[in-house]
Amino acid sequence: MKETSATPAPRVGCRRIARALRGLALLLILVLVHATAAQERRWVVAFANLTEEPGVTLEGTGFTGREVREGFALAARQWPIDLVVYDNRRDSRQALANVADAIGRKVDLFIHYHADAVTNAAVGPRLRAAGIPVLAINYPVPDAPLYTVDNLAAGRIAGEALAEFGARAWRGHTVVAVLIGHLSAVEDRVPERAKSVTEGLRRHLPTLKIASLDTQGNPARVSGLLGRLVTAEPRTKFLIAAMDDATALAAKAALEAAGRLADGAIVGHGVDRSIHGGMSERKELDPNNRGSIVLGSVAFYLDRYGYDVLPLAVRMLRREPVPARTVTHHKLITAANVFVEYPPYDMQ
Amino acid sequence: MRLASSAVAIILLLLGSASLAVAQTDCTKVVPASPWGPNDQTGATNRVTPAVTKAAAAEIKDGNVIPMSYPLVDGIPLFGSRFTKSILTTTSLAPGAALGENQLTYMEDTWLSQSHVGTHLDGLGHIGRKDCYFNQIAMGKFINQNYMTKLGLEHLKTFATRGVLVDMVKVYQAAGKFTGNPACKKPCLDKGTVITAADIQAGLRMYNTTLREGDILIIHTGWGNLFEQFPAQNATFNSGEPGIGKDAAKWLVSQKIVAVGGDTWGVEVIPGEDPKEAFIVHNILITDNGIHIIENVRTDLMAAEAASTGRSTFFFSMTVPKAVGLTGNFVGIEGIR
Repeated sequence: MKETSATPAPRVGCRRIARALRGLALLLILVLVHATAAQERRWVVAFANLTEEPGVTLEGTGFTGREVREGFALAARQWPIDLVVYDNRRDSRQALANVADAIGRKVDLFIHYHADAVTNAAVGPRLRAAGIPVLAINYPVPDAPLYTVDNLAAGRIAGEALAEFGARAWRGHTVVAVLIGHLSAVEDRVPERAKSVTEGLRRHLPTLKIASLDTQGNPARVSGLLGRLVTAEPRTKFLIAAMDDATALAAKAALEAAGRLADGAIVGHGVDRSIHGGMSERKELDPNNRGSIVLGSVAFYLDRYGYDVLPLAVRMLRREPVPARTVTHHKLITAANVFVEYPPYDMQ
Repeated sequence: MRLASSAVAIILLLLGSASLAVAQTDCTKVVPASPWGPNDQTGATNRVTPAVTKAAAAEIKDGNVIPMSYPLVDGIPLFGSRFTKSILTTTSLAPGAALGENQLTYMEDTWLSQSHVGTHLDGLGHIGRKDCYFNQIAMGKFINQNYMTKLGLEHLKTFATRGVLVDMVKVYQAAGKFTGNPACKKPCLDKGTVITAADIQAGLRMYNTTLREGDILIIHTGWGNLFEQFPAQNATFNSGEPGIGKDAAKWLVSQKIVAVGGDTWGVEVIPGEDPKEAFIVHNILITDNGIHIIENVRTDLMAAEAASTGRSTFFFSMTVPKAVGLTGNFVGIEGIR
């Protein structure tokens, strides 16, 4: 009896194990099929750029909308993404028309770069109603993740670099700091950047005198403004925080014209192509130009937005959590690290 | 006293040499060892054995010779500050300068040029990682003002092997992902197009062939049409290029080829896949695996030949001068069918 009663038990066990194995195999197949489908899935992502008007620069830097768009196109190569690009032309009606078109196309995700808060407030609900997630660049869209410059961090980096240089190289000298650039450009948050430069400067040189020279966005005004200041103070050293690279280069030219190159140190903001360049271009930030009074420039990476933003977009599409706010990782680019950060790759 | 000063001098000398040693990169941590041994300076041409050359000779069916080099002349696009200039010496053409009763005259050239111009081969000493080059060679010890004392072209074996062309224009057109560039007068992939391992495999399948050890792969992208338009399209040609990405480079390494060439100035995709990496495919192929890169190869004629005959393989004929200590050189290539 014991033997007969013992015999069926393993059969039941075997059947159970077999069933379990079959279930497991089915599950595995389902997972594999799903994984393969997910791997092969391509997404249509719309990117509505702030503006691509030639010559118009963005965020108080020297970068243009074309560079932002090209960065997205290059970054998209690494992802299963078909990019649809719109130009908002800094125009709210155009921005809303672009949103409507993207909804019509049934894109999978919309990346919105537009400065008008009222428009942005309208854009979010429209896209969400169409089931399209939104990712905002630099200007918030309510309830959408935001990728943004961090002017506070950037300014602090510039201010600290200048102050460290001043404290090290000009101990015992009369030193004045100069904030120069489009200081009144509220729309580009340059005042925020300038305030943070001040904080960075004061961190190492708490009693430093700081002068502000607003160029109204015209680098041609740098020569006059800075020239007058340095001429009035013949024995003073100047720590110059330029709000963008064009201003930094103009400040260097102004000091050169005044015969005061030895009395200045400059840090810019942006690291656009005017200050670093291709293989055979001679640029200010260059390993062969380590003695320049332009100590460096704080990178804003608008040309690489795509490389930061598209991974966030893919996470959203995969329904993975993303932070509510992601900021650019600004860094001081100097002659010592410019070829690491921006390896010249073309033959120009 | 003299003993003490000598001891101090010796200690300082030792400290100095120690700091020098510390300053040098440990290349065993930076570059893999050559599969052909610690003394290898030859790299992938080790794969071109007599058997490989003999098998490649079977590609010669009717003796048709297809040119695969571009002209080397003033005005062609050149990388960075490179230049090429020839000066003709014609002294014996002057009245009374001819030699002998037979009035022999002669002319010759002085060629002032960088070696990496026109259709050219990248040697193993061309590309490194820090100061470390192919086979973990710490190149800092092996250079002087004039040339390298290791990894020069004189160490290379023959390139007499089979060439295999893949037509990326056709692959992209067939896959419906061709975009092109309006500056090209014939279809070309646009700059920044990343050619993947799958693309190359599709190109091989298109002509029903596979790669075998010792082959040279030639990639037709159409971008070379901009070179042919020199100097009109030099700026566009130089501004970037379609080319292989890291994934393709790694796959080609696994195929044990000898070289990869193409109708672009760098063979790899520019702008690269990661903006913070510089010419990473060059590192993967040359530095890490001793596989040569051949740039500015004229591919359109062979692509047309392959399309018209349905065969993309040929005998690869390229002679590299035994130029001691050079990092590369311009070459002439012919595909023989």
